[in-house]
Amino acid sequence: MQFQFIDWKKSIIMGAIAGMLWGWIAMFANTVTGAFAFEQSLLQHLVTFTVGGIIFGIVVSGFLSLLKDFLPFKNSLVSSVFIATGLWIVLFLGGYGLALADAERYHFNIPQGIQGLILAALLGVLIGFSWKIKEKEA
Amino acid sequence: VPGVHDAFHDFRHVIGMPCH
Repeated sequence: MQFQFIDWKKSIIMGAIAGMLWGWIAMFANTVTGAFAFEQSLLQHLVTFTVGGIIFGIVVSGFLSLLKDFLPFKNSLVSSVFIATGLWIVLFLGGYGLALADAERYHFNIPQGIQGLILAALLGVLIGFSWKIKEKEA
Repeated sequence: VPGVHDAFHDFRHVIGMPCH
């Protein structure tokens, strides 16, 4: 990897935009699936899902910038889905560890877990598509 | 960080992370 070739500003901006869109899609998807009964107001959701989505998007896009050449996939869309789902699995395993340590406080729900994994793959698709557009422009 | 845990409560559930 030659770091001087990383257009990191563009990577972060694209990740933030894709992540923001993903946050809104996640909010809408849960409304459709009903996997989790919302407990907060729409205004709170708009803020938290936007902020949460932007952070996830930046992290996935950033890791894609760094790891793209190290991954065995030639297609940036596949690499992006791999990183997004991989990151989700790592975080989920961390949460599972917390659930084992303090089951009363942390517990997981299978339908929410499946929804989350699908949403993680969707984040990878959104970021992968934004990278495809960037590659066409280059 | 008081408040962060509760603020992102719904977000964490929706993305499938173990939560209280």
